[in-house]
Amino acid sequence: MTSAIIFGLLIALMLTGMPISIALGLTVLTFVFTMTQVPIEAVALKLFTGIERFEIMAIPFFILAGTFLTRGGVARRMINFAASMVGHWHGGLALAGIVACAMFALVCGSSVATVVAIGSIVLPEMVRRGYPMEFGAAVITVAGSLGILMLPSIPKIIYAIATNTSIGALFVAGLLPGIMLTMMLCSVTWYIARKRGYPRMPRESWATRWKLFRESAWGLMLVVIIIGGIYSGLFTATEAAAMAAVYSFIVSIFVYKAMPLRDIGKVLLASANMSAMLLYIITNAALFSFILTNENIPHALADWIIGKDLGWVGFLLLANLLLLMAGNFMDPSSVILIMAPILYPAAMLLGINPVHLGILIDVNMEVGLCHPPVGLNLYVASGISRVGITQLTKAVIPWLVTMLLFLVIVTYWPGLSIWLPRAMGMMP
Amino acid sequence: MLRVLDHLEEWLIALLMGGATLIIFVAVVHRYAAGLPIPVVQDWLLSLNLSWAQEACIYMFVWMAKFGAAYGVRTGIHVGVDVVVNHMPERVRAGFITFSLLAGALFTGVVASFGGSFVWQLAHTDQTSPDMELPMWLVYMAIPAGSGLMCFRFLQVAWNFWRTGLLPHHDPAHVEGIEPIKDADILPHDRLDDLERNGAGTGGRR
Repeated sequence: MTSAIIFGLLIALMLTGMPISIALGLTVLTFVFTMTQVPIEAVALKLFTGIERFEIMAIPFFILAGTFLTRGGVARRMINFAASMVGHWHGGLALAGIVACAMFALVCGSSVATVVAIGSIVLPEMVRRGYPMEFGAAVITVAGSLGILMLPSIPKIIYAIATNTSIGALFVAGLLPGIMLTMMLCSVTWYIARKRGYPRMPRESWATRWKLFRESAWGLMLVVIIIGGIYSGLFTATEAAAMAAVYSFIVSIFVYKAMPLRDIGKVLLASANMSAMLLYIITNAALFSFILTNENIPHALADWIIGKDLGWVGFLLLANLLLLMAGNFMDPSSVILIMAPILYPAAMLLGINPVHLGILIDVNMEVGLCHPPVGLNLYVASGISRVGITQLTKAVIPWLVTMLLFLVIVTYWPGLSIWLPRAMGMMP
Repeated sequence: MLRVLDHLEEWLIALLMGGATLIIFVAVVHRYAAGLPIPVVQDWLLSLNLSWAQEACIYMFVWMAKFGAAYGVRTGIHVGVDVVVNHMPERVRAGFITFSLLAGALFTGVVASFGGSFVWQLAHTDQTSPDMELPMWLVYMAIPAGSGLMCFRFLQVAWNFWRTGLLPHHDPAHVEGIEPIKDADILPHDRLDDLERNGAGTGGRR
């Protein structure tokens, strides 16, 4: 009963279009003032301590690193290298766009940043070579979502915070699924490109490829810093993120010289704006989940789900449907903050691996990013390419279907996600 | 006067962001550099104590988050579920927008007053933070101050909306220094397509 009221109130407030963080906060306030014995001081204290955890601070650092990378000329070199490797196949430049997104995703934790960084360079080039604009925009929309699957990812950090899962293990767990999704997207693109006769590029020599690889190596070094640092225990995840921010600053300004030093203020301000928005949602979601836990709702729901006797197969199907539905209305961070505390206890009772659940949620968020009404990748790609949303939504369908297929694979093949972190000894 | 406040806000959050990054960077470098057996330098490094870095970073980001959230109201970055509202007639939609802006002002106002009384109580104790030994009331001052500013920003945006019908809108596709594709980049036949498309495909977010 209580849970029906809490969620009903939350949904009603959200539907008025107010910011999700405010809707969460007002739900908690209304509930505290009218219906519960929770002392108001405890709630107030939660408001202060909600984000006082060092792990959470990885988010602003990764956003800062991502903003530097977007502007820093890293993307251009990755595209050049990718084009030299796969450009001679059918639809070469589109394939290069996907591979470059995957490479950029190895070092960047945001899918929007990936779309902007790769899309703004590769899309004009594709049009110049005679690809229809909506084809290119659709490819980049979906491939950009690799940004939150491969290695570092802001949604993964948020999941880790909400459920106390290891950030390092989650980062690494996304690598194999990410490679698999890259290959699936490339196959679909190759097939469509061959059927429609899109242009190929000349084959490059191995000497050129090596040269282009070396040029892009400055950006790829970040993988060593982030994953190597966390894996070897040199840094915590937050420290690795701070190192990544400083490193990408140095590479953009002094190595690639893609950005004048005076722009640093704008980069800092834009990153602070984005980080503060996320941290604000996190604070209020912490408040919300404090109330839920206080009313024992997650466990009641978990017991209820277990009582339905769905088994883990049925539960994961239900979880996917719920997450896909929620992804229709909210951005990934909000979905994870609201849904993870609810799904997690039931998943644990069913013996589902927390890292597997995290990757599954992550892939669901990727799907949500690529279709309307709130798919941010779609809006960003449409903004860069000036292809209308309706047009782009239609163009994205083949890749979106591929992604749904990929979601089924990730859901029912836990080994794909958990084999690598386990083999590396990052999780039991 | 308002412009001074705007600039102050921007400078504060940008500096906190950059400062926290530098502090963590220096602390990590220091931790490993102090292990290197270089005479004199090692002694000097070991004499520095940077154990407060982590705490400083957290508090700087808490301040950044609170004031950044207020700045975010001004830039329109706090998004909600606007799918339903956007399908309503213009006047109803305006009503909902005003309601949600005022709800934002209400929530942040309540939090500011909570925070204010909490900080007031703290100021009468001698609680300090564990590493830097800052008085806790100063640290937590971020909440009433930031939330109060945020409340003011919500009211400001609501007032502007009421007067001009305009809302701040954050465009994630816009990155400083990266231009959207110019018309010149688009081949003639694509451009024709694009014109038709813009006529047909305006069913976007707004």
